Amino acid sequence: MVLLVGVLVLLVSLVVVIVLAAILTPGRDTSSTLLQWKGRGTTKNLREVVLGRCYNYITMVNPELGNKDCLKIWETLQDAFMYKNPCNITTDDYQPLMDLARHPVPCNKSLFWSKTNELVHRYTKIDHNFLTLEDTLLGYIADQVSWCGDPAGPGINYESCPKWTECESNPSTVYWKMASKMFAEEACGVVQVMLNGSIDAGAFRSSSIFGSVEIFNLDPNKVSTIQIWLMHNIGGPKRDSCTGYSITRLKSILEERNFIVSCEDNYRPVWLFQCVSEPGHEDCRLCFCGIQ
Amino acid sequence: MHMAARHPGEQLPQNFCSPGFRMNSLFLLLLVLLFSKDFSGVDGKKWKGEGTTPNLDSIIIGRCYEYIRIVNPAVGEKNCSELLEAFKKAFMNKDPCNILPSDYELFINLSQHSIPPNKSLFWENNQFLVSSYAARTRRYMPLGDTLIGAFGDLLNWCGQANNTEVDDSCPTTEECENNAVESFWRIASINYAKQSSGIIHVMLNGSATGGAYPLKGFFADFEIPNLQKERISQIEIWVMDDIGGPDLDSCGKGSVQTLETQLKEMGYDITCIDNYKSVLFLLCLDHPDHPSCPVVSF
Repeated sequence: MVLLVGVLVLLVSLVVVIVLAAILTPGRDTSSTLLQWKGRGTTKNLREVVLGRCYNYITMVNPELGNKDCLKIWETLQDAFMYKNPCNITTDDYQPLMDLARHPVPCNKSLFWSKTNELVHRYTKIDHNFLTLEDTLLGYIADQVSWCGDPAGPGINYESCPKWTECESNPSTVYWKMASKMFAEEACGVVQVMLNGSIDAGAFRSSSIFGSVEIFNLDPNKVSTIQIWLMHNIGGPKRDSCTGYSITRLKSILEERNFIVSCEDNYRPVWLFQCVSEPGHEDCRLCFCGIQ
Repeated sequence: MHMAARHPGEQLPQNFCSPGFRMNSLFLLLLVLLFSKDFSGVDGKKWKGEGTTPNLDSIIIGRCYEYIRIVNPAVGEKNCSELLEAFKKAFMNKDPCNILPSDYELFINLSQHSIPPNKSLFWENNQFLVSSYAARTRRYMPLGDTLIGAFGDLLNWCGQANNTEVDDSCPTTEECENNAVESFWRIASINYAKQSSGIIHVMLNGSATGGAYPLKGFFADFEIPNLQKERISQIEIWVMDDIGGPDLDSCGKGSVQTLETQLKEMGYDITCIDNYKSVLFLLCLDHPDHPSCPVVSF
């Protein structure tokens, strides 16, 4: 009888201990084991988005690439960043992907840009005479999505990813630098660049991807001419222009590499495109002389 | 929206008045045999339309997630696999000439979402202009920029009744009206009209032969009848002429007047603008030096 009571007491106290332990121990929070960053995390359903975009691209946008293996491209992208510290990404990580997804770009269509992100991409969605990096396979699948890994499981960080200011060798910066280099290497004939004449510190900057990566990877044996479009924001300040200091500097860098350079302030079609959003603005209120 | 190719009708010679009737009937038989070979489709394919887009499933799933994660997250959480299943259920393993709009009902119920007020943009005969102008919901949200639109835009699909047959062709609307794609766009248009509110915009093509407002078309047949009058404050019509194109129709004239009258009689408050400036700038992109386009001096 005493034994029975004793066993009962033991059992009860065991249960109490277990319950207390469950209540008092903080729940295992997976997110607290992941590294924390200031940028937005990996896009949810990244796999489906990347795969879908890849298939859409090779089926509808650029059917000449019908032989690309989208599943392999996705897997190679995954391998590049999963389970890795996102401040330690190297060009070696992405090289297999770059090799798989690389494709030629038609001559005279390459459009580079600096500090005109929104404008240039909205423009090429309308005018298919020009292609930006984001109109090539590598740019197309990565545009507006983000990704980064983490050494802890599940190897991918959906909460946050490092910004450029936190570390330069992050998955995004390395990706876009490599893709930009490749885009420049593939360019041929006449190439275009859209620069922003309304920003501070000059339309052309040596520190930009254009200024530091792309111009130095244009092949003088393939590329003959560079046409600069110097755009001002509608109603924006005209801080720089084709005759300004930074453009003069850009011209000399390019001419030294044997390129022919031309520049146009407010290249007409792009200016018209800007006016779509601000038709009533003073800068757009011009003579529609031919209309009845 | 889904423009089917037109196929010229073929006519058999009628010549039964005889002495040479037998000769003629033999000739006739020969002709019938020749023509019936054509009727069975090009290259031995069953139908005249192009086949199902390759990699359709992956493309649709990708577009679905892209839409809810990037283009329009306000739509909320959707199960894209479930949506794809419901979409496919409408036409897979069925006679491709017997797909009704109602077959997509489950899909529509799962994927529909409201259109923000004042953002609806209806159109006829200017699909790419509308798509460019709307800028993927940035300015407006035409049907092509909704989740439902993402499932079908620029894609083609059909099933087969006998599952073992794999044919790289689909019926055109000429061959049969109740095909997978046509029925999809019909119910999608109906639903789009029902979800629209506030100021409704309609972009018409003033250079289109046959009139800017087709009396038989998606807008007339499926969208106007399904507009929710109590939720609509105004209908604004834009009639855009092609740059350098003829000005065949405009506000207060021709088919546009028919439309304006029809809508007014239904009780709507109507405005109409010829060559709405904002869209005109966009059209001028391809013709910057045309006299119809603005002259600039900096």
